[in-house]
Amino acid sequence: MARRTVLYRLSPYLFLIVPLIIYCIWVVGPMLYTIYLSFTNWDGVSSPAVIGWRNYQKLFRDPVFYISLTNNLKWMLCFITIPVVGGLALALALNRNIPGAKFFKTSFYSPMVLSLVVCGLIWSWMYHPAKGLINESLRLIGLDALAKGWLSDRRLVMWAIIAVGVWRQVGYVMVLYLAGLQGVDPTLVDASRVDGCSNWQTIWHVILPLLSPVTVVVVVISIIDSLRAFDLVSVMTRGGPYYSSSVLANFMYIEAFNNYKMGYGAAISVILFILSAVFIFLYLWRVMQTEMEY
Amino acid sequence: MKRYLLTLLSLVAILTVVVACAPQTVTVTVERTVPVRETVQVTVEKPVAKRIVIYNSYMSDPAPREADAALVKMFEEEHPDIDVIHSTIAHEDFKQAIRAYLTASTPPDVMTWFAGNRARFFIDKGLIMDISDVWEKEGWNESYPKGFRALSTVNDKQYFLPASWYWWAVYYRKDIFDQYGLKPPQTWDEFLQVCETLKKNGITPITIGTKYPWTAAGWFDYLNMRVNGPEFHINLMLGKERYDDPRVKKVFTDYWGVLIQKGYFLENAAAYSWSEALQFMIEGKAAMYLMGDFIRDSYPDELEGNLDFFRFPIIDPNVPIGEDAPTDGFFIAANSQHPEEAKLFLAFLGSVKAQQYFADTLGRLPTNMGVDTSKFTPVQLKGLELIKGADYVAQFYDRDTTPEMAEKGMAGFMEFWDNPGAIDDILARLEAARQEIFAGQ
Amino acid sequence: MSARQFFRSPWRTAGYILLVIVTLLWLVPFGQALLTSFRSYDDIMIRGFFSLPKTLSLNSYREAWERGGMRYYLPNSFIITIPSLILTLFFSSLSAYALARFRFPGNRAIFFLYVGGTMLPFQVLMLPVFRLTNALGLYDTYWGLIAFHTAFQLGFCTFLLRNYMRTVPGEILEAARMDGCNEFRIWWQIMMPLTLPALAALATLEFTWIFNDYLWAIILLRSDHLKPVTAGLATLQGQYVTDWTVIVAGALIATIPTVIVFIFLQRYFIEGLTLGATK
Repeated sequence: MARRTVLYRLSPYLFLIVPLIIYCIWVVGPMLYTIYLSFTNWDGVSSPAVIGWRNYQKLFRDPVFYISLTNNLKWMLCFITIPVVGGLALALALNRNIPGAKFFKTSFYSPMVLSLVVCGLIWSWMYHPAKGLINESLRLIGLDALAKGWLSDRRLVMWAIIAVGVWRQVGYVMVLYLAGLQGVDPTLVDASRVDGCSNWQTIWHVILPLLSPVTVVVVVISIIDSLRAFDLVSVMTRGGPYYSSSVLANFMYIEAFNNYKMGYGAAISVILFILSAVFIFLYLWRVMQTEMEY
Repeated sequence: MKRYLLTLLSLVAILTVVVACAPQTVTVTVERTVPVRETVQVTVEKPVAKRIVIYNSYMSDPAPREADAALVKMFEEEHPDIDVIHSTIAHEDFKQAIRAYLTASTPPDVMTWFAGNRARFFIDKGLIMDISDVWEKEGWNESYPKGFRALSTVNDKQYFLPASWYWWAVYYRKDIFDQYGLKPPQTWDEFLQVCETLKKNGITPITIGTKYPWTAAGWFDYLNMRVNGPEFHINLMLGKERYDDPRVKKVFTDYWGVLIQKGYFLENAAAYSWSEALQFMIEGKAAMYLMGDFIRDSYPDELEGNLDFFRFPIIDPNVPIGEDAPTDGFFIAANSQHPEEAKLFLAFLGSVKAQQYFADTLGRLPTNMGVDTSKFTPVQLKGLELIKGADYVAQFYDRDTTPEMAEKGMAGFMEFWDNPGAIDDILARLEAARQEIFAGQ
Repeated sequence: MSARQFFRSPWRTAGYILLVIVTLLWLVPFGQALLTSFRSYDDIMIRGFFSLPKTLSLNSYREAWERGGMRYYLPNSFIITIPSLILTLFFSSLSAYALARFRFPGNRAIFFLYVGGTMLPFQVLMLPVFRLTNALGLYDTYWGLIAFHTAFQLGFCTFLLRNYMRTVPGEILEAARMDGCNEFRIWWQIMMPLTLPALAALATLEFTWIFNDYLWAIILLRSDHLKPVTAGLATLQGQYVTDWTVIVAGALIATIPTVIVFIFLQRYFIEGLTLGATK
């Protein structure tokens, strides 16, 4: 019996050992290595030499860094507002048995199965200044003045790319809220109706508070997704024209793989990591709270 | 309990087998899906009957791509025992991936690349193989002009094979010019006149696609060479002149800015790649394009009759004439796993036969003097004349200066394009970048 | 509520019309892509997008498939996705079982390590993983990519499976343990069958994620003939810069597998998404 206990105690480690090793080699180790690289001048060819904080000093003086950071913030702002409100509204509307609900739901979450590369390509074509659907439509209805170079105007390009992200994100948020609504006890809703609440009051005072755990998750996921944004920018503009649509991940990619400043690129990733870490911890904290409920 | 341990052990064993078998599994899948079986050799160290050479090329535009594939085929016919594993990578991706290629444990053996500074960088890092023996054996020391030999030589050793070169010029639609009674301009004033006439008639005078901003760098090269002379230009490229020099500023404010301000360039240029912008010329909506001769690869054959080119207009007749004429070629990676085969392939690429084919099908100018020029088309002869008439030949902005400076510089050009008023700021930033980049050299 | 009842209120009807309009707008990019792919580029260029197409043909698809290389990019995607999927599910179910069913020091820490990893901006790992892959001789092989996907997706899969496994009543496992079953058998013969719904949902979701990856494919692969469809599309775009009909046709070909998954396994796909976020 004693042996059994020892073995029993040992078994979780036996289960964990292989996956954990793989995970450490490919994810945890590289993460730490990035931090090391950010203090070197590695150019991808010679061997890295430690140069202290120089990469960070350079980074904080680099205007492109601030452009990219601002763009990430714009992205974040859009992501935690438009898809959340839109997705919630859709979920509330489609949670009831309205005619064609299934069709509506499918339409909104279908963009989610497309890869970001495909989204980027399809939308690049939509945005094509001469023959794209958007400008052609605007011209058709006589709004020639509004037919812009969506991806070439530095004031528009970032919003144009974010719009594609939003297009894809709304359905995702809707699905999450729909799932959340499944968990809302209908008797509570009925009770509020009996108490004379209007539809809006019910939503505001009963349903929304009940959905708040979902909202937290949605917001955190949206923030993380906006920090990770890369594919759309890479496919649609590569950060151009002149960095106006650059985001951190893309800036890092260009510095590391285009300008061969691997150490500098690593410093950018570390900043990116620190930014996300704040939200990751927020998320972990929430997970921990649910853990306590067990 | 033994059984328990046994199960776990066998699990580990299974995993080990899975991992150990991995390369073999690759063999199977590769064979099933890809026509080139021999890639397998990369992962499985087994003797393979056929010899191979891995060739990565950036010739991704349709016409060069076909010519490239044809060359590979010609080589394979000459050497039936060697298979060329040929990958074509989109031009822009290739430039980003080259360091990964060169530092990989199994690099591609032969790669396309640019002569000059961009090759020099890798040569200095010891990533490019010394091919002096190939130069010697193939007699290239005699059959290649001295200039091209110098371009390939570092410390008396040859590292590069310059295989073809081409000129830059202002390409224009002859029929549109005829329609409005225009003649190819020779001076700056004439050029402005031509632009004005075209613009008045609803034709975009100059098309350009700056999604990838090197096209704008062509304008900077020419304007700077015409205004300040090639010597100043090349010193700027080498980091020996300042970007905030008033002479540089003049290029932007007095010349480039004027063209932009008058709306002579294509609208929304930043939304297009260079070949998308070419569409406007093909459709007859735009008349001129400052471009390398590879423009003709992408121009429809049936319309090529109305495409012609002229020398970039002279701005100051007292300044020597500089032209851009980039040279393309090939090299072998220093840690190539198939050096013998790679050298054979390189020898073929530099041969008269290969160059003749390339010159005849694409109209590039060959570097090997043995190539028969009697069959040159009038276009090729005209291009040759253009370059012969130059006092100085530059490679191109992103080849003459360092990659990082080029990146920053081209971004600066784009910013200027959008916001000409910010030129002082932009040049100050470029100057700061120059100091930092060239400080280490 | 019947349709007639529903539309009795004018407000509701107005809202409904609005919904229909928004939905149709949402679908416009799909329609536009489909329309484009069946036309020729010259046709669109010369006559404009809103002209009646002169001819409809599959030429663009043929071009993208044959010369554009989709015919080998697409199988490559499967060669990469399927082993990654199997391996990551296998390993994560192992670790999830340990984390869900045993109390041991470090349990919580390891769990958070996994959860934290899911949220990581994966670009951060780019340079070291590239170096590592290279050092292991896996650069430019399918296995380099498979290994990374397996490892990186472990975090999310473990997280999700672990939460699911916790909901399995302990009595079943305890009974098996009493009967002398070893832990490995309990995991394989009792836990895994009970976890099947979660595994199915997860597999569906992970399939689309791995299949749609772009960044890692362009970093860990060099050869054109190994590239999956996402990276292939980018090459295609470089090749056919001007010919949007071919690019769009290629993009549509690239979506076929995920669309099939979506149509037939929609329920699991949605379950996977919600499992991850609400549990």
